[in-house]
Amino acid sequence: MKDNLKLSSKLKSWLELYNLLIKTSVRSRMQYRFNFLLGSVLAALIQISEFLMVAIVLYKFGAIQGWSMYEMGYLFSVMTLSKTLYRTFADEVHHLEKYLVEGDLDQILTRPVPVLLAIMPRNFRIMLGEVLQGGFILGWSLHGLWRSGQIDWMSIAFTLFIIVTGAVILFSIGLATATIGFWTTRIGELQTFTEDAARTAGQYPLTLYPKWMSSMLLIVIPVGFVNYVPALYIIRGELGVWVLAAVAVVAMICLGASLRFWRFGITKYQSTGS
Amino acid sequence: MLYFTLAAKAYSRNLQYRGAHMVHNLASAMFGFIYASIWIGLGRDNPLGAYGTHGMISYICFTQSLLWITSFISNGLGIPQAVRTGQISLDLMRPIHLFSHMAAREWGQIAYQLVYKSIPIYILYLIIFPLQFPKSGSVIALVAISVVGAAYISICMNYLIGITALWTTESSWFYWANHALVNLLAGFFIPLEWLPSWLSQLAWYSPYPYLLYVPTRIYLGYEHGSHIWGTLLWCAFLTLICLLATRVLRHKVEVQGG
Amino acid sequence: MIEANNLYKVFKTPVVREGRFSGLRTLFAREYTRKEAVRGISFQIEQGEFVGYIGPNGAGKSTTIKMLTGILHPTTGEVVVGGYNPHQERRKAVRNLGVVFGQRSQLWWDLPVKDSYDILAKMYNVQESDKRRRIDQLAELLDLYEFWTTPVRKLSLGQRMRADLAAALLHDPDVLFLDEPTIGLDVNAKRNIRRFLKQLNEDFGKTILLTTHDMDDIEQLCNRVMVINHGELTFDGTARSLRETIGLPTEIRVTFRGPFQLPDTLDPAIRVTNREDEIVTIEANRQERSTVDILRELGTWGEIDDFEMKEPDFEEIIHKVY
Repeated sequence: MKDNLKLSSKLKSWLELYNLLIKTSVRSRMQYRFNFLLGSVLAALIQISEFLMVAIVLYKFGAIQGWSMYEMGYLFSVMTLSKTLYRTFADEVHHLEKYLVEGDLDQILTRPVPVLLAIMPRNFRIMLGEVLQGGFILGWSLHGLWRSGQIDWMSIAFTLFIIVTGAVILFSIGLATATIGFWTTRIGELQTFTEDAARTAGQYPLTLYPKWMSSMLLIVIPVGFVNYVPALYIIRGELGVWVLAAVAVVAMICLGASLRFWRFGITKYQSTGS
Repeated sequence: MLYFTLAAKAYSRNLQYRGAHMVHNLASAMFGFIYASIWIGLGRDNPLGAYGTHGMISYICFTQSLLWITSFISNGLGIPQAVRTGQISLDLMRPIHLFSHMAAREWGQIAYQLVYKSIPIYILYLIIFPLQFPKSGSVIALVAISVVGAAYISICMNYLIGITALWTTESSWFYWANHALVNLLAGFFIPLEWLPSWLSQLAWYSPYPYLLYVPTRIYLGYEHGSHIWGTLLWCAFLTLICLLATRVLRHKVEVQGG
Repeated sequence: MIEANNLYKVFKTPVVREGRFSGLRTLFAREYTRKEAVRGISFQIEQGEFVGYIGPNGAGKSTTIKMLTGILHPTTGEVVVGGYNPHQERRKAVRNLGVVFGQRSQLWWDLPVKDSYDILAKMYNVQESDKRRRIDQLAELLDLYEFWTTPVRKLSLGQRMRADLAAALLHDPDVLFLDEPTIGLDVNAKRNIRRFLKQLNEDFGKTILLTTHDMDDIEQLCNRVMVINHGELTFDGTARSLRETIGLPTEIRVTFRGPFQLPDTLDPAIRVTNREDEIVTIEANRQERSTVDILRELGTWGEIDDFEMKEPDFEEIIHKVY
């Protein structure tokens, strides 16, 4: 009982701290307001051109492996929104290399707060371009799916749920990749693999890929659980509602495992030599 | 020969990183593999036009390899960097035209990318997929001309992107916008004839199709040499624009007092 | 307060290969170069001690400090600071520590100085009233209000160091680790920082471990000195016994007007190292004789025309110690 109380007050103070750090980060950033706007607009354009590539294929061929335009839009936008959520709140995880190369982790390690809590909010920003693009395409897909009677109100709630679990999975992949940096220092190339390439692959139904690759996308780098697996149930009515529970479990396992790996990695931190 | 020296230096500067670049090649090849898989999946239910599945795989593998010499070259030819460090005023003082200076350097970079990126990536695809090849020497010559032309067009475009750095600190966004247009209009993933007609018309008013689509079509034998004229026309036109832009730039730098 | 037991730290870096595909091969290489940065260091520091930790560059100073503060994990050995092991209970251990790296600020670069203290107070869970009281106190001692609303990036080096010290003290830690706090400062700023550190130790009872390259820091502040070289402690004792061990010799070169005569019995504190016709070079231990006394003694040898003094070089002292 007393431990619970202590834990909850600790959590509360951490949340307050996180909040304060986010505000701080926004305030530093606001010195460059024009850049923020221009950046957001162009990011949205880039995002849209990315989706257009898929949309044009659908427009030309109608469906990919039995997945309709709306279903493809759903896969694509859930992936985008999950990634956006992850990068909004934990962008620095993706940029850990900078801390490893410059030894910036030293100072953070002398603080009585979890290292991740101190790092994550450092580059907080609202990724307007991605939110708009992802939100628009998701809205469009859901609208189309609704009209064809594939989904109901519950599906929308489920969708919000899997965006969050998806963000957790992507965060875990990002964190595990970043942790490898404690041994290799450089992680840029690896991130292209585990984050960018895997996510791009996950924007399409996994049945497109050869067996070894789809298994890899479910087991080794589990991006399949971000959108593809839950979509099977939510929009296509396959499998069963247990899929959502399974997705949540996978997300928790990923998170737990990557956090453990991270904690182990930190003990191997070499700073910048002596 | 000064220009050759500049190019050779740019080439050899990269050699020290080639190991890391090889790892990057694996990641780059991964993207091509994903795109090819999508077309294979589509090919199961659809005829895929004149290409067929085999043709589309060959198309993707060639464009994905070509990308690194005709599309994704140095951001703004390194000019934004030079503007940030102030190096640009030194470069403008040299007894050599800024454009030819930057272009020569980039040719060295492109030569490096050809040897250490495009060719290894293509070889990798060759191992994984069955690919289509040109049937005659004359086709190869045409491909060579169209690829060199494409690389030159890309140099000009990046030069223009680079010098915007004098007016805005955000020129890297133009680089990304250029990326996005390459994705869409250069035939990066989808052959241009499958775009909605308004979009493909738009594409043909731009130099983008000449970067990837035209060389690839010639390579795969779907096209004869007539498009080469388009490539050459764009080369000439963009050269003119770059020279004019350099004059404006010089004026701007002089007004600012260097 | 601080306890290090047989600390040992080995850095392993992958061997960078040369030649074709070097990067790729380095990535998968199983070969490492081992660098033993710290080799079996043990010591205990009691509450209220002011310890100087010195040694040449690359001797393992920073590595030790980073192990004591929980940043680096020792390969073997154990650290206990304020009752906690910073490698097992990092958050509990560091709550009671203040750390200042002279080379790197802990303040938020783009923000006004005062904002950093708000964030730090939150991090260490310092109550609002405590925070205000302590800031007032620190501001008075370190003259912080002079640059209270200036962004950190615009502070001078001396101002930044004052702000950094205050940041390390906001949560009222018992133990302070200072890694070269006077580096790059001018004489005046150094004096201010030293006065403040002395006050912290004497009036507020803080336990302080300081690394430095400045012999004056050690002389004026530390009652105990540890010397590290090649990863091993080569000296651990009072500042006074360090002086006795090495004698802190000052070299004096005297030119006489005309010839001079050495006395029959030489003052034991003076050692003649070189003599020419009118010039003599001596080494004297200024711990035993003041400069004035030495000059007075030299005056009895002949008529002094000119003299030059050379203070002992830090690196030389270290060299002497081991």
